[in-house]
Amino acid sequence: MKENRIGVYICHCGGNISDYVDVNKVKEAVENDEGIALSKTTIFACADSNQKEMVEDIKEQNLSGVVVASCSPKLHLLTFRSVSERAGLNKYNYVHANIREQVSWAHSDDKIGATEKAIQIVKAAIAKVKLAEPLEPITVPTVNAVAVIGAGIAGMRAAIELADAGSNVILLEREFFIGGRIAQFDNLCVSNETGKELITRLYNEVMSHENVTLYTGAELVETSGSVGDFKIKIKVTPRYINSHCAKGELQKAIDVCPVKVPDEFNFNITDRKAIYHNYPSEYPQLPVIDMKNCTRCGECEKVCSSIDFSQKEKIIESNVGSILVATGFDPYEPEVGEFGYKTIENVVTLPQFKRIVHYAKDKLLYKGKLVRNIAYIYCVGSRQLDGENKYCSRYCCTSNIYAAITAKKQFGNINNFHFNRGIRTYGKQELLYDESSRMGDIYLQSFEDLPPTVESVNGKTVVKINDYLTGGKELEVEADLVVLVTGMVPRKDNSIEKLLKIPKGRDKFFNEIHMKLRPVETVIDGVTIAGACQGPKNIMESMNSALAAATKSFSLVDSGELAHEPIVAIVNADNCTYCDLCSQACPFDAIQMIEYNGKSIAEINNSTCKGCGMCIPVCPTNALDLTSFTDKEIFSMIDAIANHS
Amino acid sequence: MENHYKELSYDVLVVGGGIAGGEAALNLANIGYKVIIVEKELSIGGKMILLSKVFPTLDCAACITTPKISEIDRHSNISIFTSSEITKIEKKAEYEFVAIIHQKPRYVHIEDCTGCQLCEEACPVNVEDQYQYGLVGRKAAYIPFSIASPRVAAIDIENCTLCGACERACPTSCIDFTQTDEYFRLKVNSVIVATGFKLFDPLKIPRYGFDRFKNVITSMQMERQLAPTRPYNTILRPGDGKMPDNIAYVLCTGSRDKSVGNPICSQVCCMYSIKQAQLLMGALPMADITIYYLHIRAFGKGFNEFYGQAQEMGVEFVKGKVAKIKSADNGNLFLRYEDFEDGIVKEAEHDMVVLSVGILPNMGIDDVFDGEDLNLDEFNFIQQSDPLASPAKTSIEGVFVAGTASGPMDIPDSILSSGAASAEATSYLRRIKS
Repeated sequence: MKENRIGVYICHCGGNISDYVDVNKVKEAVENDEGIALSKTTIFACADSNQKEMVEDIKEQNLSGVVVASCSPKLHLLTFRSVSERAGLNKYNYVHANIREQVSWAHSDDKIGATEKAIQIVKAAIAKVKLAEPLEPITVPTVNAVAVIGAGIAGMRAAIELADAGSNVILLEREFFIGGRIAQFDNLCVSNETGKELITRLYNEVMSHENVTLYTGAELVETSGSVGDFKIKIKVTPRYINSHCAKGELQKAIDVCPVKVPDEFNFNITDRKAIYHNYPSEYPQLPVIDMKNCTRCGECEKVCSSIDFSQKEKIIESNVGSILVATGFDPYEPEVGEFGYKTIENVVTLPQFKRIVHYAKDKLLYKGKLVRNIAYIYCVGSRQLDGENKYCSRYCCTSNIYAAITAKKQFGNINNFHFNRGIRTYGKQELLYDESSRMGDIYLQSFEDLPPTVESVNGKTVVKINDYLTGGKELEVEADLVVLVTGMVPRKDNSIEKLLKIPKGRDKFFNEIHMKLRPVETVIDGVTIAGACQGPKNIMESMNSALAAATKSFSLVDSGELAHEPIVAIVNADNCTYCDLCSQACPFDAIQMIEYNGKSIAEINNSTCKGCGMCIPVCPTNALDLTSFTDKEIFSMIDAIANHS
Repeated sequence: MENHYKELSYDVLVVGGGIAGGEAALNLANIGYKVIIVEKELSIGGKMILLSKVFPTLDCAACITTPKISEIDRHSNISIFTSSEITKIEKKAEYEFVAIIHQKPRYVHIEDCTGCQLCEEACPVNVEDQYQYGLVGRKAAYIPFSIASPRVAAIDIENCTLCGACERACPTSCIDFTQTDEYFRLKVNSVIVATGFKLFDPLKIPRYGFDRFKNVITSMQMERQLAPTRPYNTILRPGDGKMPDNIAYVLCTGSRDKSVGNPICSQVCCMYSIKQAQLLMGALPMADITIYYLHIRAFGKGFNEFYGQAQEMGVEFVKGKVAKIKSADNGNLFLRYEDFEDGIVKEAEHDMVVLSVGILPNMGIDDVFDGEDLNLDEFNFIQQSDPLASPAKTSIEGVFVAGTASGPMDIPDSILSSGAASAEATSYLRRIKS
């Protein structure tokens, strides 16, 4: 058995500990214990000067293990591990004892009791360090490639960044055309750019990178493996049109197609054919045949040689080190009858209004009638009193005010009435609100529990409100068009969420680990999130999160290997009978069944195991243990505490 | 002078060691770039390290900041220069910036100081503590604040009487009055500007009576009163030390106000005021809290729910613009305000008033650029040259902006914008090779 030469440091934490714990008494209680080579108190163990002293102590005294009794290991475990390493001692021969959060801060009313508890905790740490084994980090090789799910603005921006930095990128878009929601926007606020221009810019940049492979009509259907090396399967639906074709012929094919279906790209305010493209932002510049609605009449084939119904669905397999999810949002779809939606003819949503303005020429017409008075009803689908969506959708106030100003400038003679619940044009967006007020837009605010109403009266659409700003007076506006300012909701299609097991927050958007510390990471190692799939965002905010997520994903795949904590579960093959209880208890899918010496046993995947210990207590044959927290170590700690008290 | 410069060379210079600069530096250091952070204060951590808890999760700010700070501090790819300012940045060519760093003497050898605070005890000079926003005093020999990084003493030479008491008290003899200004010439390939923000000075609105009425304080002073390292260990009104039981918040102090030259919304004041109101209800369970607001901007993830929570807890929200604050003999305050709901001018009495001051740009960073201009927007924040596609880009290629240097934003948005700045810097640096 090795000779123990243990160094113990008791930290005052500048009074944080020593005001309530008698640190000298703690030192005295342990200094004569077996195996203790040195014990000291220190004002601030983490101070540079003390760290240097510790390094010298470890070297000079040839220490075999170190204990620092100080604050939470969350704060300084890594600090003192690195001290040990610098002194040539394996960092897993360092044990941290928390006598601040667990002792002095918790028991500031009982100094004697606090000191006793600190002694027990330090004795337990000494017991553990005596049994501690030197360990080496587990390294796993990483594939320098990232799968980006979703080729909207966030996904494309992340793809460009990753490619610039030097990773290979597989960019997947479920739709046949890239650009996501921004493709449906015209002028974008705080710039003179249109959605189409922004998307064109990003698309051209994506296509100029040799290390980005874009798949459209593509869905992620299967993943396995873990951070550093995910195996992914992609299903690619064909366009049924060969890429090389004469444009004139294709237009003829579209013209002759007899099928008419509502055009989702235009939020159903127009129709499209079964062979179609998303005017105006059509990237890749090749139409597609929508097989769900195609009747296979063959008319298109007659006029166009590049139609090819023999194209088959393809499955592509690849390996990536990280997966960046940028699946975006859906606009809230109001219930039938919600503020007259689908029950009163001239009630539309904000996304529909934008498409209506897009198609209008010099006059704003809706269903053939001239539009002069527009009533905008805010917070539809957001900040719901009764519904599930308690959150604010963040972008809609600004987006709507901008749309209203744009319509007024473009068509003149428009009266805008904003039925709002308190305008949230935060930051510099305030200037738009100011501009709209100066242009004569009317703002009416409803009471929180008394939303405005939309009624059809003698063929006229009337919006009524009890206006907060005029002492609750009932006011009404006869509107030619009612625009429901709909917010953002998570995508209806939840296939990615199910496949990758990304947790969702209260608002049902994807959840980050920590809003401030790890805002683009999920609890699934190697899976990052960007853009509005994480919560409502405007374009700039989506871009920031896309770039941040790209940085994170890149840092995971760039170095060629990842080092994991070697604190993982271990299986005793002799005891294991593979009952499967451990794998059911594992939250990380890190346990598999393997055949070993003619029997089935559990095997731990060291790159996914987090060392959480959930599997240990469920094992009926005691075949599992955890490195650095072995049963032996834990029992010795309990003994140390029990023996002292 | 020229030959006194010490030469330094790094991949990236990060100007400002707040949470935005620190995050950007960490991102870059983690992928192998050598980064230098230049911070004008004595400690890194910026404004965030001084906050109490942060919305909407009510995490303790120190608990988030200090592990991040220690990670930055011990990162082998990051060097930190505190009490240092950049006086010049010249772009010689693409990927080639030369900056001059002016490091002011701390009169303490950082490596030797243990932070024992014996010098503080010995020092006979008392002055206002800037890190407690003037709520209490400090010595001329002092540790900036308890969780400062580095947590070592500094001598405030302007107020020091050179009595020598600190030198005699110091057990490691680390106090050194012979230290002088040092200058470094720094070569870097790219620059990230993360110079943060300053708070609106409420003296510019005399009708609110800040400074004249001691019980009118700023939100940052309330933040310090609520922090774990708070000066009074409870909430007191500074005028007479009474525990307040009827506190008012005046939102949009210095924001959305053309009369003080700041028409924009500061983006964080609604939320930090709602947060403080919730914390106050915990600290002073009997106190009434009233928030006077124009619009509540609870727009971020979980913000609106947090606002709802405050309403349920009983925080009073009054939609109204406060015109004037008067003081009574007992130190209480009368707020004259326009009540929007009733459409009339009213007056209300409170025993303490918190001015929710807004965010203004930290000026001056554009002046240090030589040759090429770093453009500012109309509010003197750093202009983003391509806000929609590349929000971190500025008018100078290779110079990127992170955090509130480009406009008001909250902590999560600052962190994301730092991610953007470090990403842009990475791809800029990668282009050196090609």
